[in-house]
Amino acid sequence: MALLELKNLHIALEDGTEIVKGVDLAVNPNEVHAIMGPNGSGKSTLAYALMGHPAYEITEGEVVFDGRNLVEMGADERAQAGLFLAFQYPHAIPGVTVTSFLRSAINAIRKARAGGIDDPIPIPEFRKELLAQMDRLKVSRDLASRYLNDGFSGGEKKRIEILQMAMLKPRIAILDETDSGLDIDALQTVARGVKEVVGPALGALVITHYQRILNYIEPDFVHVFVGGRIVEEGGPELAHKLEAEGYEAFTPVAVGEGES
Amino acid sequence: MSRPEALERYRALPMPTTSEESWRFTDLRGFDPDAFAVSSNGQSRVTVTRPMLDLDVAGLAVAGPDGIEIERAPEGIVFEPLDETHERLGQLVGADEKFAAHNAALWKHGLLVHVPRGVELERPLYVRISAPFWRLLVVAEEGARFSLVEEYISAGEGEAYSNAVAELFVEQAAKLEYVSLQNLSRETWHFASHHARVERDAELDWVAGGFGSKKGKTRIHNDLAGQGATSRVTGAYFADGTQHLDYDTFQEHIAPSTTSDFAFKGALRDEATSVWRGMIRVEKDAQKTNAYQENRNLLLSTKAHADSIPGLEILANDVRCTHGATVSPVNRDELFYAMARGLTRPDAERLIVRAFFQEVLDRVELEPVREALASALEARIPQA
Repeated sequence: MALLELKNLHIALEDGTEIVKGVDLAVNPNEVHAIMGPNGSGKSTLAYALMGHPAYEITEGEVVFDGRNLVEMGADERAQAGLFLAFQYPHAIPGVTVTSFLRSAINAIRKARAGGIDDPIPIPEFRKELLAQMDRLKVSRDLASRYLNDGFSGGEKKRIEILQMAMLKPRIAILDETDSGLDIDALQTVARGVKEVVGPALGALVITHYQRILNYIEPDFVHVFVGGRIVEEGGPELAHKLEAEGYEAFTPVAVGEGES
Repeated sequence: MSRPEALERYRALPMPTTSEESWRFTDLRGFDPDAFAVSSNGQSRVTVTRPMLDLDVAGLAVAGPDGIEIERAPEGIVFEPLDETHERLGQLVGADEKFAAHNAALWKHGLLVHVPRGVELERPLYVRISAPFWRLLVVAEEGARFSLVEEYISAGEGEAYSNAVAELFVEQAAKLEYVSLQNLSRETWHFASHHARVERDAELDWVAGGFGSKKGKTRIHNDLAGQGATSRVTGAYFADGTQHLDYDTFQEHIAPSTTSDFAFKGALRDEATSVWRGMIRVEKDAQKTNAYQENRNLLLSTKAHADSIPGLEILANDVRCTHGATVSPVNRDELFYAMARGLTRPDAERLIVRAFFQEVLDRVELEPVREALASALEARIPQA
């Protein structure tokens, strides 16, 4: 069984509107999967629901992560088990610094893994790791002491998401439109960061509208996502085909149905 | 006014009801102040709520139901039991209001803090209060600079009544930091009137923390009485269970070129409720006034409720007055964001509460007070 496995997954909004209509997917460490689809195809819904956002309900099918039924786990338990979501629109939390937020998150995960006993990361170890990762991801050091995402540029926010991923060391990372709103330099840095983190211990699910990011993160598998379903699957060559031909070829099912 | 006169006034004044605007959201039905024995006989000396602060202080006083003890007093200032014949007594808080009149009639143990001209104290003065009727009188003479911290805790179990009056005189170019922390038992009805008068070029920096009590009203009144006077009041409160907190603040600009800056933040859980009422009044001679008032509330449950009522009354024409009031639930996406990083729901809520209060905590100059407030606020979110 794969590390993350989706079987006939259906996802609906609180009002019952079905957005994701039966998805099968298997992701393993050291694999990069790209989910490509037009706006409104339900890609972001899939990302949020996998992470456990309360606005989305899994109405049918199952999600198994490392042998555990994800549907019964809260967002915190999913993160503690090693699932990570890089948000398309990262939230600002004025009043909490990047450093303090990251330390809280690391300590929450360590505590859960220590069976509920506090096991805080030693501060020197944390600082050393944080500075090393910030330098690697070209995150300006002065962001560390600023309030999380408060007044950050689009590029800064995305880098901070990847920084969190690098610090939290998940086993499966979902990157929700991490490329959107980035200029080419920022995109390269972010993509390089992702590539460095993906490895024997991490599998990634890269959700994107454009092929652009896939020039920097070569996917092992490409899934074309239209109208809440995977309509085509293939290797990296599929991404290039999409770039050349667009999504029209894959839209016998209505594009734009539901929400992104 | 003599005590018998004050008592007569107290008896003549009706119990406030919700038909009065300032009591509209604070219903006192079921409360009878006369039902509580004024004498302290039989009351336990053991406090049921614990003090929040552990300070390195210059002066220490402990006021209990049986009296006030001055445990330490610095040289060169007056830090002693308050005498009822003091000439300034009642100048700022009279007996025009029901509970102030009750205090004027019945207060027994109080504290006088008088810091002479030019004296600066490095360490704060501290008074811990578990007396049912409390009276504080503070005089900061010209150029004096010091901090005074008062903390209300409860003596004895069961339903209780606490009535406090504080009068603060901040004279020319003096600087007073005044911290008033209320951590009474959940069964205590608490009524307090704090009134300060800030003279020319003087500065008042005030911190109000509200954590305990059942219901009541805390009045915070500042007179900007001399040109160039400044007052800054920072409030943080947290109520849960069925607690009801009520703050009534008044920024009275009397002299020109005066500044006032009031910022209150509150968090409410369970079925707790709060009222915050703010009034900026600018008298017609108080040109070049700069006044600010802000109240923000964070609701941590669907049954919690906050009323926030800002007010302005401006008689001068060259002034700058701004205000803001908000009541908002915890943002679901913010909560999700923190939980998606592995924080449990209580940890995520604690983080959000801490973030919410950070702005007002940043205004608190005394570090131990800032830390005590921060941990008291976080401690109010129970572990899972």
